[in-house]
Amino acid sequence: MSEYNKPIPVPSQESQPYWDGLRERKLMMPRCDDCNSYWFPPSLLCPRCNSSKWTWTKTSGRGRIYSYVVYHRVYHPAFAQEVPYAVAVVELDEGPRMYSNVIGVPPDALSCDMKVEVAYEPITDAITLPKFRPVAA
Amino acid sequence: MSALRDKYAIVGTGKSRLGQVGANSLALLEEAIKNALDEAGLTNKDVDGVVVRGPDDVYSHHQLVAARLGVDASFSTSLDNGGASQILSIILAVMAIEAGLATTVVCGYGRDSWSRTHAKGGAGIAQNDLIPAAQRPKEHGPEFGHFGAVSQHAFGARRHMFEYGTTRDDFAAVAMAFREHALRNPEAVMKKPMTREDYYKARLIVDPFGMFDCSLNSDGAGAVVVTSAERARSLKQKPVLIKGFATHNNTKGWIEEDHMLSTGAVDSGERAFKMAGLGPKDVDTTQIYDCFTYMVLTQLEDYGFCKKGEGGEFVRSGALRMEGSLPTNTSGGQLSEAHVEGMLQIVEGARQLQGVYGVGRQVPDAEIALISGHGGNQVCHSTLILGRA
Ligand SMILES: [Zn+2]
Repeated sequence: MSEYNKPIPVPSQESQPYWDGLRERKLMMPRCDDCNSYWFPPSLLCPRCNSSKWTWTKTSGRGRIYSYVVYHRVYHPAFAQEVPYAVAVVELDEGPRMYSNVIGVPPDALSCDMKVEVAYEPITDAITLPKFRPVAA
Repeated sequence: MSALRDKYAIVGTGKSRLGQVGANSLALLEEAIKNALDEAGLTNKDVDGVVVRGPDDVYSHHQLVAARLGVDASFSTSLDNGGASQILSIILAVMAIEAGLATTVVCGYGRDSWSRTHAKGGAGIAQNDLIPAAQRPKEHGPEFGHFGAVSQHAFGARRHMFEYGTTRDDFAAVAMAFREHALRNPEAVMKKPMTREDYYKARLIVDPFGMFDCSLNSDGAGAVVVTSAERARSLKQKPVLIKGFATHNNTKGWIEEDHMLSTGAVDSGERAFKMAGLGPKDVDTTQIYDCFTYMVLTQLEDYGFCKKGEGGEFVRSGALRMEGSLPTNTSGGQLSEAHVEGMLQIVEGARQLQGVYGVGRQVPDAEIALISGHGGNQVCHSTLILGRA
């Protein structure tokens, strides 16, 4: 396997449990104990009701492509071999939106509202990326 | 807020040289401020307020700017609302004068984006590399190859295309209209006509955006002088009255809710119109923050110049052209004149109302101009409505 040159996420104190979950192939998000809403990225208070009572909760890992773009320009040398590649805003069924890549299909096969599910991609011992693949119809 | 309507005025406007100037951002701003003061018939001795964009970088930091002007300011600060900062600087100037904190405030912004991206004389470096490493996201983005503002706005364009049937033809109509305007503006960086074929032949940057959907990397600066309308009466130039303003920041985030389809212009526009006692039908020209073609289309919808989802049809009708129903970005805008984060749009709006331009460059009988600012991770918005005195 060739050397991994792409940016490797640097977890913060707040996001460490998220990355720990991904390593165990779980897509975890903060969920409010008071109003039951999920949010991302993690922060100290529930953005909906500002409760500080919340729990890291495993999501379904399923959602839809809210929007996507296709990079043709190289903004980072490690992606020079990848262009054109797609980056998506994925909306989980639980509500939160996140950036990711949709794998297993060429960019021109993507569409908004396409159903996707999480696909785990380990890149280091510590870090596994949450990517997405289309759900078979 | 309507108590402030027409109580304050822009009494001088200035630009620096634009394009591949090679000067740093502070020097560019100094040049623009000097031009604005000269136009107003004022000197540094008259200035007691400085409000500029910053301080995420050396860009226009108020202390450095005031030092260069030789001004001890009774009120000065730097703003941090991205491309919404420049209108905000005028709002803050009005608030400061109203509160008795200053009497004559210089507002401006300068940037040396062309010099920075071409510093080594080679192929140029990506805009993303200009962001200091410490300020770049460390997770939830770059690991997926997601970098910077082009793709953030492109997400909005894609979703708009999906929901409303908007097409790249519509984006082309925006780019082509502004290029036509640039050809009538000797100061504009872009000098060549753009056909639809040219638009589609340009390389894709982040699909659905090609090169001509993206604003320019320019060196340049703009500045205006703000004081009371009463004081303005004794000054050299015919003042431009500040009729209305507002801000609204969709600070929950660009990718949250419907923010990439429906910007802060909705709220900001409604309140600015209310302050001015005006509506979209009263506007003779708009100068819309055009970091990308799509942003023009969606803001025009948000301000009520057409219905949400009908922006494509509106821009394709030719409305934005000088001869159209709503001449927009009449200098060429950031897509074709130069990109100084909205500052030049304020200058252009004011000058159209002063009626300084000749036939073909001047919006005939322009009485009301609406100007927008947008930026700061895509969530900050500001609106300024100016009127002929
Ligand atoms: Zn809650």
